Amino acid sequence: MSASQSAVRSRAEAVQVSRTFDWMILFTLFTAVLGGYHIHYMLTGGDWDFWTDWKDRRLWVTVAPIVSITFPAAVQACLWWRYRLPIGATICVVALMLGEWINRYLNFWGWTYFPVNFCFPSNLIPGAIVLDVILMLGGSMTLTAVVGGLAWGLLFYPGNWPIIAPLHVPVEYNGMMMTLADLQGYHYVRTGTPEYIRMVEKGTLRTFGKDVAPVSAFFSGFVSIIIYFLWHFFGKWFAKTDFIADDEL
Amino acid sequence: MKIIKDKVSKLSFVALLVTLTAAMFYTPTASAHGEKSQAAFMRMRTIHWYDLDWSKDEVAINETMTISGKFHVFSGWPETVDKPEVAFLNIGIPGPVFIRQGSWIGGQLVPRSVTLELGETYDFKVLLKARRPGDWHVHTMMNVEGGGPIIGPGKWVTITGSMSEFVNPIVTLTGETINLEDYALDNVYFWHALWYAIGLAWLVFWVKRPMFIPRSIAVVDGKADSLISPLDRKIGIAFALGTVVLVMASMGATNDAYPVTTPLQAGLMRGIKWIDIPAPTVTVKVEDATYRVPGRAMQMTLTITNNGDAAVQLGEFNTASVRFLDAEVYEDESGYPDDILAEEGLTVSDNSPLAPGETRTVEVTASDAAWEVYRLADLIYDPDSRFAGLLFFFDEEGNRQMVTVDSPLIPSFI
Repeated sequence: MSASQSAVRSRAEAVQVSRTFDWMILFTLFTAVLGGYHIHYMLTGGDWDFWTDWKDRRLWVTVAPIVSITFPAAVQACLWWRYRLPIGATICVVALMLGEWINRYLNFWGWTYFPVNFCFPSNLIPGAIVLDVILMLGGSMTLTAVVGGLAWGLLFYPGNWPIIAPLHVPVEYNGMMMTLADLQGYHYVRTGTPEYIRMVEKGTLRTFGKDVAPVSAFFSGFVSIIIYFLWHFFGKWFAKTDFIADDEL
Repeated sequence: MKIIKDKVSKLSFVALLVTLTAAMFYTPTASAHGEKSQAAFMRMRTIHWYDLDWSKDEVAINETMTISGKFHVFSGWPETVDKPEVAFLNIGIPGPVFIRQGSWIGGQLVPRSVTLELGETYDFKVLLKARRPGDWHVHTMMNVEGGGPIIGPGKWVTITGSMSEFVNPIVTLTGETINLEDYALDNVYFWHALWYAIGLAWLVFWVKRPMFIPRSIAVVDGKADSLISPLDRKIGIAFALGTVVLVMASMGATNDAYPVTTPLQAGLMRGIKWIDIPAPTVTVKVEDATYRVPGRAMQMTLTITNNGDAAVQLGEFNTASVRFLDAEVYEDESGYPDDILAEEGLTVSDNSPLAPGETRTVEVTASDAAWEVYRLADLIYDPDSRFAGLLFFFDEEGNRQMVTVDSPLIPSFI
């Protein structure tokens, strides 16, 4: 067969090969993102995502969206500009959460016996869907960054509140008031994680009374906008084909 | 020949993979906590644990036990370790094999970090409830911000029974009794499964159609706009609006279901009460101290003055939780772990009762394999080659006085 001959003999075979290629790429993308995004999120979000007694209304709300919008922005850049596929953010988050659940269930619970209701991951899917849809409707990186990035930050806390609210019910314990999440952190001993490492409820945001979560979410959304731009450019740069010679294309 | 070589290479590679895979299934239980690896000067000159009592050696699931005793915050705290201005009374166990039902310093519950004062002694208690069966090494531990975990003595405790029987009932301030072990777990699974299904639905909507090659060709040919149809847009809007509506509705429903919630509790606890110990009437001056490497023994020349009104004898030297006793003066009956108890490890050149008003210079030798086993001999490699510890003096009636010592240490290699 010469180089100019096709590798397939019919349109049906071409379609079949194309679909096989789709699934191979999709599987590779999914698992590569699962690994890379998971490591990134564990290193940057870490304990805020691991433990319920870190999931507070100030720092978790602020940090988690900012450090998690990274891979979705980059993968969106590749899948949208190259293929017009508005699934970059959702595929990242679905992959991440599969990896997180495997980790939390097999390692945190199966290996070290921390209860799953103490170490479940944060829910990032609402923000991811909205981010993808905004990119699809607007077709603009700027619009997606500004509107989508802000939505990413704003949807995070309410998207997780139904999951964590039961653990914020107060309890009186030996003369002190705690939430059930605090009590989980106290009861289920983490030898390598002393209480003072826990970064919750710190900061100077003291003029909004008890309603600090929305303010934190807005701040997180603003920073997410900037991070979105940065990682979207990373994604575009990585999706370039400059390194392939023209005659090979 | 080449075929044989290739086959050998392939088989070798397969064997390597099989070996690596098999290695993953060998996961022996980690039963210690690195207490021997911690720098010796840190164990000797920070927190001194003593009068420790593990209330039980064996407990059944759901039963409780306590670890209680005292710790002295050494006044000669090393400069290379941050002071215990933010410290946390922890427990050294391999994961939550027990739950910590309570921990107290000076009678105060300490679920949070505390500030400790140098030179003071505190009593403490930790209440543990058995959760997972097995033999576990249970250590006292003080975490110090900027200093790391300072681990105390450990003792083996056996938990019997089945973990499936473990319960952790808690009564909330809203009057509900819950089992914290699996409380709200169904809720966690439900919301994660629901959102995951919605995310998958969005992906399936797109991946069910031809993706990479034909779409890439279309984009390169300038037909990118044709790849998003009006129906795609409508369905996208439905997903986005549905997402926002579901988030808002579920948040509202949650607030109705849980009208009383509070933020996470945090903060530093100051003003922890220490034990008001009378100043000792015995004073000790360390004239010199050497560690004889071949003999695994530390020798000190001490000048001891008894300013009290009763004769005293030196009965114990305690450093880094290793206790060296003079068996003729004091015998331990607390069940202290054998591996860190040298019952006849303390020798004093003249340990006859030191009369009131008398001053005597004596040679004291603390010798035991524990110097090597617990890597205290590594002190000679530390950046600040000093030793420290507690000396306990006893009078005839069994009254005890504690005196701290802190001095440079010179190694002897011959």
